[in-house]
Amino acid sequence: MRIEEHPVIDFTRKRGKKVTIYFEGKPIEAYEGEPIAEALHAAGIRVLNFTPNGRPRGLFCAIGKCSSCLMKVNGIPNVRTCITLVEDGMKIERQHGLEPLPKDYKPPKWKDAEKIEADVIIIGGGPAGLMAAIKASEHGAKVALLDENPILGGQLVKQTHKFFGKREQFAGVRGVKIAEIIAEEAKKKGVDIHLETSAIGIFPNGEGKLVTAVKKNKKLVEFYGKAVIVATGAMEKMIPFENNDLPGVYGAGAIQTLMNTYGIQPGKRVLIVGAGNVGVILAYQLLQAGVEVVAVVEAMPKVGAYFVHAAKIRRLGIPIYTKHTILRAEGKEKVERAVVAQLDDNWKPIPGTEKTYDVDIVALAVGLRPSIELLHQAGAQAIYVRELSGYVVRHDDRMETTIKGIFVAGDSSGIEEATTAMLEGKLAGIAAALFVGKADVKNAMEEMEKVRKDLDEFRSGPFGQRTRIGEKKVMIK
Amino acid sequence: MKNKVNIAIIGGGIIGLYTAYELAKRGVENIAVYEKNYIGSGSTFRCGTGIRQQFGDEANIKMMKRSVEKWSTVGEEINFPPLKMAKTGYLFLLYSEKEVEQYKKNVALQNSLGVPSKIITPEEAQEIVPGLDISEVVAASWNPTDGKANPFLAVYGLSKALKKMGVEINEYTEVKEIKVKDGAVEGVKTEKGDVKADIVLNAANAWAKIFNEKLGVKIPIEPYKHQGIVTEPFKVGEIKPMVVSFKHGGAYLTQKPNGGIIGGIALKYGPTWDITPTYEFLREVAKNFSKIIPALKYITIIRQWGGYYAETPDHNATIGKINEIEGYYLSAGFSGHGFMLAPAAAEGMAELITKGSSSLPLDFYDPYRFERGELREHAIQMG
Repeated sequence: MRIEEHPVIDFTRKRGKKVTIYFEGKPIEAYEGEPIAEALHAAGIRVLNFTPNGRPRGLFCAIGKCSSCLMKVNGIPNVRTCITLVEDGMKIERQHGLEPLPKDYKPPKWKDAEKIEADVIIIGGGPAGLMAAIKASEHGAKVALLDENPILGGQLVKQTHKFFGKREQFAGVRGVKIAEIIAEEAKKKGVDIHLETSAIGIFPNGEGKLVTAVKKNKKLVEFYGKAVIVATGAMEKMIPFENNDLPGVYGAGAIQTLMNTYGIQPGKRVLIVGAGNVGVILAYQLLQAGVEVVAVVEAMPKVGAYFVHAAKIRRLGIPIYTKHTILRAEGKEKVERAVVAQLDDNWKPIPGTEKTYDVDIVALAVGLRPSIELLHQAGAQAIYVRELSGYVVRHDDRMETTIKGIFVAGDSSGIEEATTAMLEGKLAGIAAALFVGKADVKNAMEEMEKVRKDLDEFRSGPFGQRTRIGEKKVMIK
Repeated sequence: MKNKVNIAIIGGGIIGLYTAYELAKRGVENIAVYEKNYIGSGSTFRCGTGIRQQFGDEANIKMMKRSVEKWSTVGEEINFPPLKMAKTGYLFLLYSEKEVEQYKKNVALQNSLGVPSKIITPEEAQEIVPGLDISEVVAASWNPTDGKANPFLAVYGLSKALKKMGVEINEYTEVKEIKVKDGAVEGVKTEKGDVKADIVLNAANAWAKIFNEKLGVKIPIEPYKHQGIVTEPFKVGEIKPMVVSFKHGGAYLTQKPNGGIIGGIALKYGPTWDITPTYEFLREVAKNFSKIIPALKYITIIRQWGGYYAETPDHNATIGKINEIEGYYLSAGFSGHGFMLAPAAAEGMAELITKGSSSLPLDFYDPYRFERGELREHAIQMG
């Protein structure tokens, strides 16, 4: 089902040209500019593949990170359909376990890789990456940016709510709008932008760096630069419960992608697991999209989200149950019910407290973990920091990692939020411009100092305490 | 950790562990293995997993025939059935008449020693591996009794057996030097203390020269960086044998039991201690693999790593007694064949230590051949 009316976004204007794709031979209507899995979801198709032991699987992260959506596209197996755009006439099939090699006996023609040169290469076009690109350009560096998604803005593109903070940090502006503003700004500054381009490795190249990437699953691209900023964001966490792989158990971000980016109703009735900011904001956004939210369950004894967000959904009649968790999802090939229970002081479900909800979606808003794969491959030192939600790389006060010339910014340096991601991006962008010898030293130092102050200020409240502890652990003196 | 043993083995890779096993099997007591990291971590866990008898000289063929016999039964012998050699064969793709002539000679020699290899047509090769592009293939050399084994299971299974047999395995225990007194070994100095030993076996492969140099023993073994890759899985059984093509960068590749490909190409760097993976390798693997089996252009590489080949000038190992120092033995410099050769090399070394000689052709691997200028014909250095 597609969303035709929405209080914040006009999807009817946003959608591209109509095209036809074929799912297991059946024609399905889709729009140019939307990924395959999202188009299938709009047509009511939840099961995208079957595991080798026959379990149905569907979408989970919707941003190309979890591999739950692999399908056969035009005969080619293991395509990440959540970030691969539809094309007219495309043939899509479900995978059943491991697929045979395509019947293709023609050796490929090898072309030399496309070569891009810049001072600073930025991986990731979300709030951190875009802000880094803007600042590095401002300070005189030539910047190239790549992102494996088809649109710029990272997770901002699905944030329909207004941000807090200072005016210069976009207070009062909706996330979707912020994405547009900074993407526009980066383009204006002449940043060389490459979308649908997945970085596959960071290699040393003499004194400089080489980032290798694949564009649209086909073309090899080599980005030559002197510094690299990794702003690859985060990926959704999963919690263990019976049938947590049933299609319809979706990451909160995936649900936002469906309804806020592509205007597709994720389902009819939703149970949300996790009452942090993501969980309660999601509840509100679901209401905006005309979807019923039956409840939000939270294992902790209190709600983690900002009071204003939680109060808003309570006013709208959505119950939040603390000390509750999900026990299992039920259903044949997709979620039909979810069973929750109350937890005792030892986190054990209390018998007799089970409640069953008739829902078709279970939204997991149980946290994120930093995406540090590329940094790890590049050899940057990583440590486990609970307060930053997983393994993160060590960095100094300019966001430079243990590898000279490789910088990190945003959620990939520890889970926080878009505002701090933008601030870290600014810091990394200026520092990288300084590193490549393009920035005016005095200006750069002064501005970095100011950004550091803003970061400290933003992290100063009780909500910033975890980050402050975590940052101490990763910081290289 | 004991402070006195009969035999101290430096290196907890497949060579050190398998030799410890062969020694313990022969009733030798008080054996200890010292590994500076964790067992298998040096080169064994980084290897291409292939096991083949298709060599071009008598000694290597005999040794590998013995190794294949042992790889086939060791799992049962140590009561660890998951460890079992998969006899999925080795397929050398040949692209010129010159190559075919050479392989015909090799096959004749292999056959005379009881290895059932044969030269087959491109069409027959395609029956074995359906995805092959045979448009330029002239013939192939095929041996169905070659194959592969899992290095993780081998190390795990052997270490379990060794512990039961009373062999002491010391992980995270680096040997700093070999102690020598009056021309005979006295023991080893480790980071956790000194150990007295009557016999010291240097099974450190890529690191072997570090110990030799300190003792003034000059045997040319140098570390070279080689690399490997694995891909995402696809339907099991599509590429059963190890497929080898010298024409395509010296590529070798085979499908693992989980469906992913493991393989590499001959591209090497060195001598060097740096084993950082390179982009050049990644790109050349992609290019060459997809020329051999075109459908691989759709398959994604998910991991790449580097490791050492401990190379000698003729790409053959050095296995034997070190004459200058009483009680010092060397089993190293395997030049990329350590995993496949391990059972026979271990048996030979165990015989040498316990009986003073071996029924296997260890002379071929004489560490002093370089000094005498008697280099062997280069071994086929592949997978």
